[in-house]
Amino acid sequence: MKSEKVMTLEDYLQQNAQRYPDKVAVIGGNERLTYDQLWQRVQAKADELSVSEAPRCIPFRASQTVGFLITYLAIHLSGRVAVPLEKNIPEGLYQEICDRLSCLSSCMSSCHDDTLNGIADVLFTTGTTGQSKGVMISHRTIIADAENLIAGQGFSHDLTFVVHGPLNHIGSLSKIFPVLLLGATLHILDGLKDAEAFFRVFESQGKYATFFVPANIRFLLSFDAKRFAALADRLDFIESGGAPLAHADMLQLCQLLPHTRLYNTYASTETGIIATYDFNDGECLAGCLGRPMPHSRIAITPEGLISCQGDTLMSGYLGDPELTATVLRDDTVYMSDYGHIDEQGRLHIGGRENDVINVGGFKVAPTEVEDVAMSVPGIKDCICISADHPIMGRALKLLVVMAEDTAFSKRTIARYLADRLEPYKVPMLYEQVDAVARTYNGKLNRKHYQK
Amino acid sequence: MKEKIRTLLEDALPLVDFDSDFLFSELDSLGITTILMTLSDAFGIQLEAVDATPRNLKSLDSIVAMVEKKVKSE
Repeated sequence: MKSEKVMTLEDYLQQNAQRYPDKVAVIGGNERLTYDQLWQRVQAKADELSVSEAPRCIPFRASQTVGFLITYLAIHLSGRVAVPLEKNIPEGLYQEICDRLSCLSSCMSSCHDDTLNGIADVLFTTGTTGQSKGVMISHRTIIADAENLIAGQGFSHDLTFVVHGPLNHIGSLSKIFPVLLLGATLHILDGLKDAEAFFRVFESQGKYATFFVPANIRFLLSFDAKRFAALADRLDFIESGGAPLAHADMLQLCQLLPHTRLYNTYASTETGIIATYDFNDGECLAGCLGRPMPHSRIAITPEGLISCQGDTLMSGYLGDPELTATVLRDDTVYMSDYGHIDEQGRLHIGGRENDVINVGGFKVAPTEVEDVAMSVPGIKDCICISADHPIMGRALKLLVVMAEDTAFSKRTIARYLADRLEPYKVPMLYEQVDAVARTYNGKLNRKHYQK
Repeated sequence: MKEKIRTLLEDALPLVDFDSDFLFSELDSLGITTILMTLSDAFGIQLEAVDATPRNLKSLDSIVAMVEKKVKSE
C-alpha cells in the first residue's frame, strides 16, 4: 500500500524560506529572523542534535524566546520528539520527567515499539489523579491544528501573531503552527507584565492578532483600557481560551474593539483545536464555543459530555495505553466537560464531570496539591478548592486545619508547595479553618464547597 | 505606610520576596496585576498599567514612593 507523506511544519518552513526568504518569520527580545535565517538556524541546531546522538525524546524548558522556536523545530527536523516543559518547573520534577522519558525511550527501542513514529511533541498535562500525563501529538495533528485555525479564525500571510503565554501549553504553542505554515510573522513576548513592551509591538503599521487567557483580558480592561481600545484598527482578531471569559469582559471587549474578531475556542491538549466562536457577532453568547472546524467533529454523549473526532486528536498518553483507553476509544476523545449543541450546530459548554480545577487554562487535580500540603509540618488536614478571584476568575484556595500550638503562615505553606509543585499548582488563596467538610464515609466533601 | 503596604502585598502574594531589590524581575503579569489592584483598592488611588514600570516596582521602597505620590496627586 502506498503511504502518503505527511507535510510537517518543518517542510512548510523550508518551503517558506525559499518562497519568502526575506520575510520576517520571528521577533523576540533583540532578535528578528527572516524565514531564510530561521531555516538556517533550525538546520544547524538539528545537525548538532544528530551529531551529539541526542535521545529520541528531548525535554527542555520552554522559554519565551526565539531560541525556543529554533530548538523546538530543530528537534522535529532531526527526527526526534520535542518535550517542552514549564520554564519554572522545580528541578526535582524536571529530573523526574527526564528519567521517565529516558526509561520509556529505552524500553520502546529495545522491544521495537513504534509508538513514537510520527510523533512530534509530548506535552505534559495534569490527570485527574494528579499524575502528569505525557500527551503525544503527531506531525499530522500539528498541521490539522494549523489548518483549523486558518479556516476558523482567518490567520493570513500578512499577519503578525503576538504570543506571550507559556509555549509548553497548547494555547500558545498551537499559534506557531498556522503562522509558520502560512509564512506569517510570530512576535514572542516574555509574558505580559511589561505592558509597555506589549503596546510597543503594535507601533508599526500592520495587521495583528493575539491569544489571551481571561486574566490577561481582565488586566488590560482594568488598567489599560484606553491604550487597548486604541489598538482597535490594528487588531485583526483576538482569541481567548483556557478558561471561560466573564460575560461582562466579553461585552466590554466588543465595545472597545467593535471591528475586531473576538474568538472563544474549545481546545485541549488531548483534542487539539476543535471549535471557535466569534462573540463580536452582535449576540455575544456566553459559554458558546462555535461550530467545529474543518478537521473536527463534535458529539454529545448520552451522559451529556462532549466527545471529539478528527485529525487534531492526540495519539495517546505516552507509555500508558490503559489510561489512553479511558479517554481515546474508536478514534474519539471523550472529554469531562458537559455541553450541548444548539440548533445552529454551535457547541455550548457547561461544567466539568470530575474534580479537576481549571486555573487560567491549566488543569489542576486538587488531590495533588492536598497530598503535598499534608506533608507541610503543622498541617493536620486540608482541602484544595476553586474560589472566586478578582483577576483570574477562578483560583486555587487551600483550606487548612493546623495542629494545636502551630501557627498558620500562608507564606510558609506557599513556599513549601512552590518548592515541590509547578507554579500554577500553588494556591493563591489560603484560609485557616477549624475543620474541612467530609462525607459520611470520611472522604473529602468537595461538593460542599462548590457553588 | 510601608508596613501597611508590606502586609497587604505579602498577604496577596505570599511567594514574592518584598525585601528584594530586583522585585520587578521576580514578578509575573499576575503579580503585577495583583499589586495594582490591591493598592488601588486599599488607598483609593487610580493605578494604571503605565505605573507598572520596572522603576516603580523595583523594590518595596519604590512601591511606597509610587503610592505616596499618587495619594498626594489625587
